[in-house]
Amino acid sequence: MDILVVLIATIVAVVLALLYLLRVYNGLIKMRNGVRNAWSDIDVQFTFRHNLVPNLVESVKGYMSHERKTLEAVAQARSTAMKAGADIATRTVAEMALSGAVGNLFAVAEGYPDLKASRNFLLLQEQLTTTENRIAFARQHYNEMVRKFNTSIAEFPRNLVAVALGYTPEKMFAAESHDRANDQNVPVS
Amino acid sequence: MSTPETVATTRPFAPRDPETFFKAQLRNRRSTWRMSALCVFAALIMGIPLTLVLTPVFYAITMTTAEVINRFSPLPPAFWQNANDLAKLAYRVADTLIKQRGVLDPQELAIGAALVLLPGMVLALMLWVGTLMLFRHGGVGGTIASLSAREPNPADLKELQLADAVQEMAIAAGLPAPKVMLVDSVGVNGAAIGTSPTDAHIVLSRRLLDDLNRDQLQALVGHLVASVGNGDLRIAFTVTSVFETCGLIITLINAPFGKQSRSTLWRIIRYTFRRRPADAKSADADEVAELLADMLDLNSTDIDRFFSSRKPGLIRKFLRLISYPFLFTNMAVELTLWFFLNVLLGPCMALLWRTRRYLADAGAVELTRNPDALAGALQRLSEDSTVMAGGSWATHLFVVNPSGDQSLRGVGPAPDQQRKFLAAWRESENAGRTVRAAGTPVLSTGAEEEYARVRKEMMSTVMAAAAGSTDAVARMQAFAKVVSADPALGLHDMPNLNDLLLAQRGDRTAIARIRMLQQTRHQEGSPKRGQSGLQTHSFLSFHPPLNKRAKRLQKMGAHVAAPTRTGSSVVAKIVIALLYFIIGPLLALAGVLMLIVIAMMIGLNLIVLTLWLAVIHWAFAQDWARNIHAFVGFVEQVIQIFSRGR
Repeated sequence: MDILVVLIATIVAVVLALLYLLRVYNGLIKMRNGVRNAWSDIDVQFTFRHNLVPNLVESVKGYMSHERKTLEAVAQARSTAMKAGADIATRTVAEMALSGAVGNLFAVAEGYPDLKASRNFLLLQEQLTTTENRIAFARQHYNEMVRKFNTSIAEFPRNLVAVALGYTPEKMFAAESHDRANDQNVPVS
Repeated sequence: MSTPETVATTRPFAPRDPETFFKAQLRNRRSTWRMSALCVFAALIMGIPLTLVLTPVFYAITMTTAEVINRFSPLPPAFWQNANDLAKLAYRVADTLIKQRGVLDPQELAIGAALVLLPGMVLALMLWVGTLMLFRHGGVGGTIASLSAREPNPADLKELQLADAVQEMAIAAGLPAPKVMLVDSVGVNGAAIGTSPTDAHIVLSRRLLDDLNRDQLQALVGHLVASVGNGDLRIAFTVTSVFETCGLIITLINAPFGKQSRSTLWRIIRYTFRRRPADAKSADADEVAELLADMLDLNSTDIDRFFSSRKPGLIRKFLRLISYPFLFTNMAVELTLWFFLNVLLGPCMALLWRTRRYLADAGAVELTRNPDALAGALQRLSEDSTVMAGGSWATHLFVVNPSGDQSLRGVGPAPDQQRKFLAAWRESENAGRTVRAAGTPVLSTGAEEEYARVRKEMMSTVMAAAAGSTDAVARMQAFAKVVSADPALGLHDMPNLNDLLLAQRGDRTAIARIRMLQQTRHQEGSPKRGQSGLQTHSFLSFHPPLNKRAKRLQKMGAHVAAPTRTGSSVVAKIVIALLYFIIGPLLALAGVLMLIVIAMMIGLNLIVLTLWLAVIHWAFAQDWARNIHAFVGFVEQVIQIFSRGR
C-alpha cells in the first residue's frame, strides 16, 4: 500500500516536472523566434526604404539641380546599402550612411521654399519620416525582445534548459555607435 | 523672471517619486489581477441573491411541467417520492436555520444548500456562457457602422500620417497592424474596437488629426495599440457580456408579459440561427447587444405595464391571477440586478477597466518613449468636446470619456515650459516683420502674468492673421518654427497653422474653425457629466480621471504640471469632513435598507411560488373532467375573490 502511494507520488512529480520542462522549452523557443522575427522586421523596413529613395530623388531633382552632390550621395548610399548583402556588420554601416544621406537631403531641401510647398514632396517626406520611424521602432522592439530573451536564459531554472539547447545571449542592436557595429552578432533568419 | 515657488497652483516640476514605464506596467498588471479577483468575488456575492430568486422559478417550471406530463403519462412513483423527500429536507433545513434551534446534519445542510443554490447558479452560468458564444463571432462591423466610420484617404497628408503612425506603433509592439478608421464627428476621441488583436480596429475622429501634432497622434495611437497588445479587447468583451447576461435574464423574465421583451427575444433567436453574411451578422450583433443593454434600464418593463393597465378584461384578470407569482420574481430579479450591478459589480469592473487604461498609458510610453506627447494629447482632449455619436454601448473603449473629462482643463504648462514659451515668442519677434501689439513693456511682474499677457498677445495676432494680415501670419509661422524646434514644448493649444493660411485665402470654414477653437478654449463653466453605455450601470466611471493619468505620466517623465488642489481653509476642511460623516452613514443606511427590501422580495417570491406549487399540485390531483361543475365553481370563486380584493 505504502509503496503504491510512493509510486504514484513519484509518477505525479515526474509528470509535473516534465510538464514544467516542456513549458520552459516552448517558452524559450517562442522567445528565440520572437527575436528572429523582430530582426526580420528591421530587414523589411530597410528594403522598404530602398524602394522609396529613387522616388525621392526623382521628385526633388527638378527643384534642386545645383545640389547634384547631395543627390548623388543619396543614390550612392542606397546602392551601397543594397549591395551590402547578408553580412550584418557592413549592412548596418551602409544603412546608417543612407540614413545620414537622406537626412542631409531634407536639411538641404529646407532652403527651397517651392519644394517645401509641393504636396508631393510633403507626402514623400512623410513616407520617409515614417520609414525612419519604423526602422527605429523595429530596432526598439528587437532590443526589447533581446532583453527579455537574455534575461530569461540567465534566470535559474531556465538557464539549465538554455544551456542544453545551446542558447547564448543575443546582442542588442546598438544604433548609435558605428565602431561597435563591427562586432555585431545578430542572427539572420 | 520669478522663481517657480511663486506659482501657487502648479507643482514643483520634478515628481517626487519617479517611476519607469516598466515598473508602472508591472504595478498595473498586479492591480489588474487584484481587480479581477475582486470582480469574481463581487460576481459570486451578486450570484447568491440572484440564485435565490431564480431557483424557485426553476422548480416551479420543472414541477409544473412534471404535473402536466404526469397527467398524460404517469411518472414513476419514485419521482414523486424523491421530490417529496427533497422538499421536506429543504423545509427542515430552512426551519432550523431560521429558528436557530436544533442541530443540522452537515450532509443535510450540504444537500439543502445545493438544492437552493445550484439550479440558479447553473442557470445563470449557462446564460452567461450562452451570451459569450452568441457574441463571440459578432465581429466589429456593427460598431464601426454605428459610428459611421470610413477608411483614411492616403492622399490627405494628415490621414496618411495617421495610417503611418498606426503601422509604426504596431511594429514597435510587434503586433499585426490594426485597421484604421476615421469618423467625421464633432468630438475628438479615439477607440480600439474588436474582439482580438487580429481583428482590432482603431477608430479616431478626423478632427483629432488637425488638433494633435505627429508625436501626440503617435502617442495616442500608441495607447490604443498597447491596449490591444495587452489583451484589453478580450477583457472588454467579458465585461460587456456580464451586462448583456443581466439584460438577457430580465428579457427572459419579462418575455411572457409584453411585446418589447418578446421582440428582443425573437431578435436574439433570429440572430442566433439565421445564416447571414459576416457584416450583416455583426451589425445584428451590435443591435442585439444594444437591445440587451436597454433592457437593463428599469424605467418601464413589460411586466409593469401588464399589471398596471386600468380596465383589464376577464381573460387578462385570469392571466394576472396565474402570473402573480412571477410579478414578485420579476421585481426581485430587477431589484437585485439593479442594486448589485450599480453598487458592487459595476464599480468593481470599472476599477478593473481603469487599471487597463493606466496600463495602456504606460505601454504607450514604452512604445513611443515620449511621455510628453501622450500627456499633451490627453490635455488637448480634455479641452475639447469628446462626444462621439453612435456606438453608445462601447463608450468604455474610448481613450477619454466621451461624456467629457475636464479635470485637466485650464492647467497651464509647467513653469519652465512657460519660460520656454516666452523665449520662443520673443525669438520669433525678430524673425518676421512683426506686428507689435500696442504697449508691450516687459514688466517683471512674474512669469505667470507675463505668460498670460503673451498668450493674449498671441491670440490677438492669431485673430489678425485670421482677418488676413500678412504680417501676423509671418509672425505665427516664425513662432511655429521656433516652437517646433523644441519637442518638449507641445503645440497643444495653438491654432492650426494650415487653418490660418486657409483663412487668409478666405476659406470660411477655416475661419469658423479658428473662431470655434478660441471659443471652446475660453469656455469656462461646468460641463454636464452625463454617462452613457455601460457607465449607466455603475456609479463609478469606467474612465480614470485625466488628472490622475497626467500625474502618472508625470511620474514617467512627462512635463506637465499635475493639478493640485488649492489649499482650502481649515473651516472648509472641517465642514467637508462633517459632511462625509453625515452622508457616509446615510448612504450605508440606504444600502442596508435596499438589501432588506431585496431580502423581503426574495422571501415573498419564495412563499408565493411555494403556494403556486401547492395550488398546481392540488389542481392536478382533482379529477376535473368528471366533475365539470366543480371546475366551473372553482373558477368563479377564484375570480370573485380576486375582483373583490381589488
